[in-house]
Formats: sequence, structure tokens, C-alpha cells
Amino acid sequence: MAETGPQKEPDEAMLDLLIKQVSEGLSPEEQRELDVLDNEVASAYARDLEHAAAAISVAGTGEPEPMPQALRARIEAQLEAAMAASAASGAAARNAHSSTDGVRSSTVRSIGAAPRPQSRSTAGWWAAAACLVLAVLGWLRAPLGQGPGTAPTPAQQLNALLAQPGILQIQLDMTAEPAAAGAKADVVWDPRTQQGVMRFVGLKPNDPAQHQYQLWIFDGDRDQRYPVDGGVFNVPPTAGQVVVPIHAKLPVQAAKAFAVTIEKPGGVVVSGLEHVVAIGKAG
Amino acid sequence: MNSTVLQRMASGDVAAVRECMDRYGALVWSLARRLSRTAADAEDAAQEIFLDIWRSAARYDASRGSDKVFVATIARRRLIDRLRKKGGEPPMEPPEALESIAWSDPATEPATAIDASHAARALQELRPEQRQVLELGLMHGLSQSEIASRLSMPLGTVKSLMRRGLMRVREYMNIEIEGVAGRADG
Repeated sequence: MAETGPQKEPDEAMLDLLIKQVSEGLSPEEQRELDVLDNEVASAYARDLEHAAAAISVAGTGEPEPMPQALRARIEAQLEAAMAASAASGAAARNAHSSTDGVRSSTVRSIGAAPRPQSRSTAGWWAAAACLVLAVLGWLRAPLGQGPGTAPTPAQQLNALLAQPGILQIQLDMTAEPAAAGAKADVVWDPRTQQGVMRFVGLKPNDPAQHQYQLWIFDGDRDQRYPVDGGVFNVPPTAGQVVVPIHAKLPVQAAKAFAVTIEKPGGVVVSGLEHVVAIGKAG
Repeated sequence: MNSTVLQRMASGDVAAVRECMDRYGALVWSLARRLSRTAADAEDAAQEIFLDIWRSAARYDASRGSDKVFVATIARRRLIDRLRKKGGEPPMEPPEALESIAWSDPATEPATAIDASHAARALQELRPEQRQVLELGLMHGLSQSEIASRLSMPLGTVKSLMRRGLMRVREYMNIEIEGVAGRADG
């Protein structure tokens, strides 16, 4: 670093915290302890030590291992899409914010706890279609790190989720998009594992050659302009209820809202959120 | 050229993406592999890191260090954050399987990572046990407690070795950079 080190020396306790911060991270308690100590000296040393640790990492990497081609292609596509969307998108960002801000009316309730206040109406339309649970077609991109043939069916995932205590059922609001006319949707979500499924009835069938539906998760730990891709899916012409597993392409720490958009075949890495068909807030 | 890649990324030049991957892909992947619990975690982490690099690219200041160390700083932040969140999960490889690190030769390190070259030179001057503790902590992602257990050392000794070792590297890097700046001024 070009600047000289701070004149005042930190004590050992502060140094131990700073070094732990750059080597393995701090627990919340340790972070609070450091925050109390935090001052100009701590900040300057933290910057220097982080720089030293990173320099050691580069020095110790030697001949780095090439990144797998498939992963590289995925990251390139992700970056290009994110940059293109960012460039085009004061509007996209505003759409994302307004979409997530506009879901206050969505219903969140705990399954298996108190009786559901809307159980009669929602049970009615779900029950009407319950015999038509369909596996969703057209998952074009497998979830990261998951081998083929190992995933349970959507219906099995739904049943497994429903058997868990503390599951959330989130009623989605349908928008004015023509594809959403007369449709209903909800999310069954396990906040502990951050996994879940979406269910739809009445969503307009799509032609996969023209467009596909895509799921999105707004993670509280991430920039709300860039919701996490939850996978693409199709609605076949004869579908009644469609059950769609949410396959987040990035880890989700705290889902705050869910949305479904219409996108080009194969989906997009970053959506402009121009054709939102459903959205709901997770509390 | 190298700082230009980050500048172009910051300015939204989509054509810079491939160059960015050419230059930093292997570095990020190597760090992600070392500091992730599973291969799938490493893939997720690499994706997150490159988004972080793009979002942070405008903050890169060549006068404060090399672009590779800047990228490694971003990568380490993300990887440490992920390791903490995954807490008690077992590591990808058992501790006894950890490879020893092939440190770069400061004499041949390209000038574009001169701060890494200074760090490598500083490491050569450390006591072996200081270097070993830093290697296990910074390169293999072991916690101080895990290092203490692995080396059968008291935790306090591990902390002391790491503190003295990293402070020595920091001092050496500052002295070297001031020296380089002084020679350039003279």
C-alpha cells in the first residue's frame, strides 16, 4: 500500500480481532466488540492486514487451477447480462423496487400452526385442481451441484415441505399481465432451509419457443435490483395445477419476496422485470 | 492493461468480461476451491465473486496495490463470509489431505502483482511456524481453533504466531512500497 501505516499502534486484543476478521471472519459478538474499539487506528490496520492477507493469497496461489469451461461460460453470461441490464436500467431498477414495494397486501401464514384465515377459499381452488399436479417441463438449467436423476419430483417436494413445521404459505398477487388473468398462485417456503415450491392454477399456457416463465427470489442479503434466478418453467396447454420447485441459482440467505416474469426462451440472468405476472412478499 | 480491465468493467463495457475472466478466472477459482466446503460451494462462490468484482471495480486504485490483490481481497471477503455462514460443515478435504503451498518466487513474479511479490519475500523471512500458521489460516481456510488442534498448539500460541507473522508481512510490504515510491521519486 502506498500510504504509510498509522502512527498509533493497536493493542493486542484489537490486533487479534482484526487478524481473525481477515483470516476467518468474526462472530456477531466479536464484531460488536470490534465496533466498540473501532477508530482510525483499527480501520487503517484492518485495511493493511486485509491487503497483506490477499497478497499472501495471490503469492500462494502459484499456478492457479483453470476455471471449468462450463462455469466460466455461466459467469460470463451472468456478468454480461448484469452489465447490460445495469446500463439499460434505471427503469429496470425502479421496476424492481416498485415491484417489491408493492406487495404489502400479500398474505403470509404459517402452515401447521394457527388455522388458516383463508383456508376455505384457497383450499377450494387448490382442491379443484389437486388431481392435475404436473411435473414442470422445460428446466433448461440444472441447479448448481446437483446431479441428474437425484431430485425428487415437484409433487414429492411439495409433500415433503408440507410435512415440515413452520412452513410459510405466501399468497402471490397476480398482475394485470394478460397471462395472469384469472390465475392464482402461492409459494410454499421453508425459511429454515430457504427452499420451496410455487403453485399455480390458471396461468396461461406458454409456447416455449416464444417465451418461458421464470421465477425470482428477492434475497434480503442482496441488492434488490438483482433478484436471484429461481429457474424457468413452462405451463402445458392441459395443465390444471402446476407445481414448480424453486431452484435458486445462487444461495438465498433470507427470502423477502418472490416473483414470476415472462422472459425469452431459456430465461435471463438479470430480468428487467418488464413482464411480471405474480409477486408476493415473504413477511 | 490490467487496471484497464477493471476500469472498463466499471464503465459497463460488456466486451471487457472475457478479458476479466481471462485475467482473474483461474485466480478466483483457485481461491474459491481452497476456501469452500464443497465443489458446488466453490462454483456458487465464484459466481458471486465476479458480480462483486464488477460492482467494486470502480473502487480500484492502482496506487494502493495490484489489480490481482484487489481481486483477491474481494474474493476473500466473499469466501470468508460464506465460510462463516456455513459454520459447522465439514471441509471439502480432511485436514491431513491439505496440500502444501507452492509459494511464488519473488524474483520471477510479474510486476503486475508486485505487492504479492513483496508478500512472498516477507514470508521467506518468517519463522517456519509463523509461515505454517499463516498458510493453514489464509490459504486453507482453517480457523485458529482448527490450526491449534491440527498442530497440537495452544490457541494462544496460534494467535500469537499469526499476529506476529501477518504484522511482519504488513510492515515489509509497507517498507517495500515506500522504497519503490522513494526510488521512483528520486
